[in-house]
Amino acid sequence: MFRFALTRIAMALPTLLIVAVSVFVLIRLIPGDPAQLMLGDLATPASLADLRARLGLDQSLPVQFGIWIGNVLTGDFGRSISSQEAVLPLIMQRFWVSAQIVLVAVLMASLVAVPAGVIAAWKQDSSLDLGLVATATLLLSIPTFWLGLLLLLFFGLKLEWLPVVGYVSIADNPWAGVLYLVMPIMTLFLHEIGVILRMARASTLEVLRLDYITHARAKGLGEAAVLWRHAFKNAFGPTWTLIGLVLGNLLGGIAVVETVFTIPGLGRLLVDAIFARDYPVIQGCMLFVAFTYVLVNLVIDLCYPIFDPRVTAE
Amino acid sequence: MNRLLASGLALALSGGALQAQTLTAVLNADIRSTNPGVNRDGNTDAVQMHMIEGLVGYAEDGSVGPLLAEKVEISPDGKTYTFRLRKGVKFHNGATMTSADALWSWTRYTDPKTDWRCLSDFDGRNGLKVVSATAPDADTFVMEINEPNGLFLDSLARADCGGTAVIHKDSVKADGSWDKPIGTGPFMLGEWKRGQSVQLLAFDQYVSPKGDKRDGYIGSKRPLVKEARFLVIPDAATVKAGLLSGSLDLALMPESDVPDLKNAANVALAIAPNPVRHSLIIQTRDPLLKNQALRQAIAAAIDFPELVANVSNGLGKPNNSPVYTTSKYYGDAEKQGFKYDPAAAKALLQKAGYKGEKITILANKRSSVPSFNTAVIAQAMMQAAGINAEIEVLEWATQLDRYNKGNYQVQAFSYSSRFDPALGFEQISGPKDKQPRKVWEDPEALELIQKSMVVTDTAERQKIFDALHKRFIEQVPSIFTHNDLDIIAHSKRLTGVTPWASQLRLWEVGVAK
Repeated sequence: MFRFALTRIAMALPTLLIVAVSVFVLIRLIPGDPAQLMLGDLATPASLADLRARLGLDQSLPVQFGIWIGNVLTGDFGRSISSQEAVLPLIMQRFWVSAQIVLVAVLMASLVAVPAGVIAAWKQDSSLDLGLVATATLLLSIPTFWLGLLLLLFFGLKLEWLPVVGYVSIADNPWAGVLYLVMPIMTLFLHEIGVILRMARASTLEVLRLDYITHARAKGLGEAAVLWRHAFKNAFGPTWTLIGLVLGNLLGGIAVVETVFTIPGLGRLLVDAIFARDYPVIQGCMLFVAFTYVLVNLVIDLCYPIFDPRVTAE
Repeated sequence: MNRLLASGLALALSGGALQAQTLTAVLNADIRSTNPGVNRDGNTDAVQMHMIEGLVGYAEDGSVGPLLAEKVEISPDGKTYTFRLRKGVKFHNGATMTSADALWSWTRYTDPKTDWRCLSDFDGRNGLKVVSATAPDADTFVMEINEPNGLFLDSLARADCGGTAVIHKDSVKADGSWDKPIGTGPFMLGEWKRGQSVQLLAFDQYVSPKGDKRDGYIGSKRPLVKEARFLVIPDAATVKAGLLSGSLDLALMPESDVPDLKNAANVALAIAPNPVRHSLIIQTRDPLLKNQALRQAIAAAIDFPELVANVSNGLGKPNNSPVYTTSKYYGDAEKQGFKYDPAAAKALLQKAGYKGEKITILANKRSSVPSFNTAVIAQAMMQAAGINAEIEVLEWATQLDRYNKGNYQVQAFSYSSRFDPALGFEQISGPKDKQPRKVWEDPEALELIQKSMVVTDTAERQKIFDALHKRFIEQVPSIFTHNDLDIIAHSKRLTGVTPWASQLRLWEVGVAK
């Protein structure tokens, strides 16, 4: 298993290199210049030249890339053009904030949506099935910013149960920290229920049509045993993969939710950096997101044998 | 359940997010640094100006007055400025401010290692050069410049230069790198949580400048609350919810939110124009738009009262002058703008030989400026007059790039504040060969602008600005539509909130008991 994990990580290196090169080139292809943005309409040719030189933007692109990638290999992701902070600690700090929300939301969504999907498949075409599918479709269709605003208006403004703006770190004040995270987590939780439930239902339906399920029923097993012992184990594989993809995707960017709820997470950092053309932060974030994606999916793959013994990590 | 959550919220508030008697203001983006005039933007300036002060500062009418100085004496030849310092002014670390601190600060600013953004405005590269700075006694600081300059004090007062603040030498670490601002302002830096908030603490030894009321960056500047906090909230809808819920005390809001906030029980609005100028800038070197008659036709095709009313929710007033409406130089001449006259527009189009060629207006959709809305309404009005106007929407960084390269026909663009009209004219004028971003390159206008920078007499300067305005309206190198509005939505429990220069000022703001 260890060898498998190492091989997978090694296989990810070319991917990360491609990400590094593409992000570096693409962001520079977009018109706009961090020095111009910092100086705004106050820029004079002299001040612009000074700032560009100070930021190292006056050097050729291959030289800039060489310096950056060389530093990255030594663990130095550079400094933010806007804030002058070191990029890697900045990313880690922001990632932790996003991860709290994403991990809890996806876990909760999985715990609710997977059983609900299986039950919907089991009761296919019943009113329960229709109700669950309709709810899932509705939740999936509502944009997260809109859902977030609705929660904010209802629980924050109308009921006054939860704080509307701000963020308190759980490390500073656990109870307050949790209160500030409730609505962002709820927003993602509700949205992801829709995604996961539909997949769980579809994959369970597929399995329920197979001969061995008919055989299990024919030999007199109860529906609960058929469903959970035989159908679920085989049906869960695709849903598990989807959970991995969802997790990887969300860990890389929940900028919309973070913006609505004033959460200083990784997504907002990346979006702000793009608007500010803060190249080191953009490059660092994208590389980190790609690495996280690879890592999450590796973990998902390594967990496969738990659900399906036919799959090995060799 | 309600009680549990309410007690939780109370605990949360006590944990640092919100507290009674704490002012909670909003920034739409985090500050860039605490280092004055080095790594900054508008938000950075706004927060820093609570902690630091320079020798002089801007008053609300755009004039410059003494701040840390008691008075400023200018020698008859206009080259020596003697700053008599106020006595008993303390730094945040308790030390008394003297001319040695002013000299140390100046020396630090002029050291290239500091990366002070305004160095080129004082070292001769842009004409003005500070020849010497001395501290003959503890209460006197003297600066000598190379030639008389009507804008020397303005340059010192500029917020983007950090107000050329006098700071204590312990503001930097032993190795000379920046640590934190130890200034003389009404608030001290508390905790800066990057991306989240900036906490300011009242400076209880603060010595306010003279004056019984607040006046820009000068006048009375007492801190009236123990703590003020700037929360970083980029989303305007969230800010509105926070104001309505009472979690936030004050914020600058867009015009579009005024109708909702006006009717809110716990929110009051304070609205005033500021020096930011919204405009349709024109590329006068464009093969089509180099034709002055065509530019005049565009100006005549636009119904400014209608346009401004629409983009500002009925709150703004048209101003076609580069001089902003609250400037002391905004007089009768400046009030004479473009005349909306569709018939004249059509005649001018004919005179220009216009044959329906496409004119593209660049715009962006930033919520802080009316760029897109201005473009849409101007397009409709231009089309009604027979001008084939189209809109291209760009992301801000891209539009700014096109502005700096002069690569456009027309842009719906907003110019940042310049308090002195000479700087306001200079901002848009200059030779395009050297600076493609400039929009007006009439040699006679450039000469007048240069003159306005040297002259110190107010009446004489007024004449120059009147003449410049007249030429501007005749030549239409650009079309200014109106000045921006500061709309501060604030809790009704606050007293003393007044808008100015697009910045939230928390001194002299109190909380009703």
